[in-house]
Amino acid sequence: MQTFLQYTILGLAIGGSYFIAASGLVVTYTTSGIFNFAQGAIAMLAVFTYWQFRWGWNWPAPLALLMVLGVLAPLLGAALYQVVMKNLRGTSEVTKIIVPIGVMLGFQALATWVWNPTSSTPRQFQKFFGPNAFVHFGSIKVSWHEIIAFVIAIAIAVGIRLLFVRTRSGVAMRAVVDDPELLQLNGGRPERLAMISWAGGSFLAALAGILIQPMIGSAMSAGQLTLLVIDAFAAAMFGRLRSLPRTLAGALVIGLTTTYVIAYFPSKWTWSSSFRNSLPMIFLFIVLIVLPQDRLRGATVLRLRERFRMPSIRTAWIAGLVLMVVVFCLKVIMERTAVNTLTLALTFAIIALSLVLLTGFAGEINLAALSFGAIAVIVVYHFGTTGSGTDARTTLWGILLAAVVTALVGAVIALPALRLRGLYLALATMAFGVFVSRMVLTERNERDIFGLKFTIFTAGQLTIPKPKIGPFDFNSPDAFLFLCAGLFVIIGIGMVYLRHSGYGRRLAAMKDSPAASATLGMSVVRLKLSIFMMSAAIAGIGGVMMAAQIGTVNSDRFDILLSLSLMMITVVGGIGYISGALFAGLFLIAFVQMLDLTLKKFAVDYSSLEAIFLFFVSAVTVLPATIGITMGKNPSGAVSDIVNGLDQIKQSKSLVITLVGLEAAIWALTATDVITNWHFVILTMINLFIVPVIGGKVLLARAMRGVPKPVPPELIGIDRPFTSDDLAEMDRALDLEGVVVPSAGTVREGATGVSA
Amino acid sequence: MSETNYHEDHGALADAPLIELVDVRAAYGTIEVLHGISLSVPQGSVVALLGPNGAGKSTILKVVSGLLQPTAGEVRLAGRVVNGAPADELARLGLCTIPEGRGVFPNLTVRENLWMATMAGVPLADVEEIAYARFPRLGERRKQLAGTMSGGEQQMLSMARALSVNPSVLLLDELSMGLAPLVVANLYEIVAQVSQEGVSILVSEQFARTVLGIAQYAAIVLHGTITRVGTPAELEDELSAAYLGS
Repeated sequence: MQTFLQYTILGLAIGGSYFIAASGLVVTYTTSGIFNFAQGAIAMLAVFTYWQFRWGWNWPAPLALLMVLGVLAPLLGAALYQVVMKNLRGTSEVTKIIVPIGVMLGFQALATWVWNPTSSTPRQFQKFFGPNAFVHFGSIKVSWHEIIAFVIAIAIAVGIRLLFVRTRSGVAMRAVVDDPELLQLNGGRPERLAMISWAGGSFLAALAGILIQPMIGSAMSAGQLTLLVIDAFAAAMFGRLRSLPRTLAGALVIGLTTTYVIAYFPSKWTWSSSFRNSLPMIFLFIVLIVLPQDRLRGATVLRLRERFRMPSIRTAWIAGLVLMVVVFCLKVIMERTAVNTLTLALTFAIIALSLVLLTGFAGEINLAALSFGAIAVIVVYHFGTTGSGTDARTTLWGILLAAVVTALVGAVIALPALRLRGLYLALATMAFGVFVSRMVLTERNERDIFGLKFTIFTAGQLTIPKPKIGPFDFNSPDAFLFLCAGLFVIIGIGMVYLRHSGYGRRLAAMKDSPAASATLGMSVVRLKLSIFMMSAAIAGIGGVMMAAQIGTVNSDRFDILLSLSLMMITVVGGIGYISGALFAGLFLIAFVQMLDLTLKKFAVDYSSLEAIFLFFVSAVTVLPATIGITMGKNPSGAVSDIVNGLDQIKQSKSLVITLVGLEAAIWALTATDVITNWHFVILTMINLFIVPVIGGKVLLARAMRGVPKPVPPELIGIDRPFTSDDLAEMDRALDLEGVVVPSAGTVREGATGVSA
Repeated sequence: MSETNYHEDHGALADAPLIELVDVRAAYGTIEVLHGISLSVPQGSVVALLGPNGAGKSTILKVVSGLLQPTAGEVRLAGRVVNGAPADELARLGLCTIPEGRGVFPNLTVRENLWMATMAGVPLADVEEIAYARFPRLGERRKQLAGTMSGGEQQMLSMARALSVNPSVLLLDELSMGLAPLVVANLYEIVAQVSQEGVSILVSEQFARTVLGIAQYAAIVLHGTITRVGTPAELEDELSAAYLGS
């Protein structure tokens, strides 16, 4: 009984803290329509900042609290809204999810940079009034900290409820979600309200972090605290991101269950600790299954700022061929390590293709692509290899089996969330990712499942050999490089075929308007499910290739944060483009590594400037997130800009010839060892980025000379009268050539005839 | 800039039209939709904007209400140039806009909707009193979510705001959209009364007949330009031509 009460109180206190974080999510979601994935990262930053003030610099607790909760956290929230989130109006749901994830990854990298986890003694974070401040109720001992946490949670629940119902500003915050323009017409200031709510949400996150850190009783870890927010996600979902009482109930249930698991599960169950860590995910799934179906969207036409163009099948084949040629040329001049990096980048590009298929084509979101890769790797490790030692090879059947299993797992994950909006599927996949990281990839013990002796993740790492398909052995690095490049090209071209098929058009239709698609008789759920399975299978194949390239992989390789980075960079590249996936793989693996190596080399070469270069080495870790955060400004992605640029270049044969010729010359010089690979990289950059800009300017200036300013089609007839050329052009555009149009006179007569 | 204009025009303020547009151009992105609109609404009068779908009527109202910034030209309210003023500031100064569709917050109750109207300065008690006196139906449903009411009731709610915030200028966009003719007639009766109290009203409407009954002036909008301005009697004959596009 005593244990029960003790753990109940702890559970209520932890649940209360979850609620505080969750209520912050509800507040910001309610006013800005943005689900703040960075909520946990804000809490994490607050915990580290508070630690710095309180124990790093020995400030008194009230001062440190005032500084963190009263000043820094609200400021951070307000600044986040003003600088980042405000730009997300009118963007697609994907962008609205990716940008906060960028913020989250940025904060995470920032915290690891500032509070380097390996450089100092473990940081101790104590409860309020110290670790020995207890109140005794009879035989039960309760820490003041736990009482404070629970009381604050209740006070916040009541306070927010009153704010939203009893104050005009609170009601206006709810009105912002309905219609910010109408609120403005009423005389309200939607931007200011949203900013205030973000300040409040950030305050709540910080408060939750400071309350919860000493209760979970482990050392401060940026990653763990950041992901703690998933527990809050589950609670917020329980209230459908709207109802605070239900959010509170959900949070308390999660808090209590997690503590009871610790208290009552027999200690010989080796999996109970990872089970406890996975509980919030299990809750999230249950909530997703139980939630009633959303109304189908489609009543209003969404005017999104994202614009994607699909290449024709012919272009896809040409691009694929070009890629293979480029990879071959690079291979000739590259060192062994560089070949390995390029191969790894290509495997990530394959995984990113799964995201392009799912998100770019169908508008659904998977935040845990690498976790599907992990599933495939486990399957291959156990069932898909032959031989041993240096003769070990992955078989074709192993890869196919892995793809099938991954697709089936994907179906199980996606099915409950598919009835709901994209955000819920995104959360379900993220929960799955954390579940795989915490529950599956930590499984090092031998299990006896249905009489089958089984260890999922043997010794914490799995060795995947290179594949051998039929007579073709891909064991050599070069052969494997071509396999990965070829696989990328084949899957990419396949996707272009798919996009041009009836199935692809149905996907596009569903992405635009699920409601309209449903009324046309499509099964939206079946469509979503099939595309999710296909995408999961591609992620699985990519994951196996990635593992085969690395050789021996541990669970870090499938970390959810890495999945999030990949998704973010793919969106940055252009989630609607095959080349966006290539961009993601190259950027995340090759480019970042190249920067890292270059800066470290400089730090050694110019030791007087070492500090500066090492600063930049750290800055590189924040770089991808920073780029992700700027997505709000350019939601169509970098590839879209490149495609538009290419279009201009293509108009001039001379420029294309100059570009290709120069590049060939640079390559030839490198291949013959006249210049080094460093020079090759730098000259290529100059050639590809600077020459087109200069050339484009010159061409544009030449083209503009003597050409009258074109009149946009919608202004013909207004700015100048229609000419017969205009009419012919319209006929051509509308495919009406040769159609006999009755003269204006006959139309009028017909019309009167009808009305009479 | 608006400051100086205000002082310059101060002498002429008394007889200046309440709303005046001078050669206003406006664009969505790169597509220009208003190509030089000039129009004035005299104090206390009703001016109707007539024209087919996509002519630019709603855009004119958006520009006047401050939701869309003109790319060229001047918008003047009571003789004062208000280009660049945000919509919420204009609303607090006495410009009331009922936007196209239903001008209500669907997830707020009737009472909460009216509460939002108090941002223009009138206390909630007064707003509620006026609203419920004019539309008893709203009084019965004050705790109901606005989104669950019928189209007519929602339009009543948005009209209640126009009635109760005591505006000096009222902008109405497609009041009749999707409503039964009887309801429309009822709503326009109210508009006529409001105008008799001295409020200047600019109203856009596709269904010309109803609005011409209460308007002093009407302007025909076609392809983003005003093709004709006159009294309803003068325009009667040209209307069908405007709509049929000859």
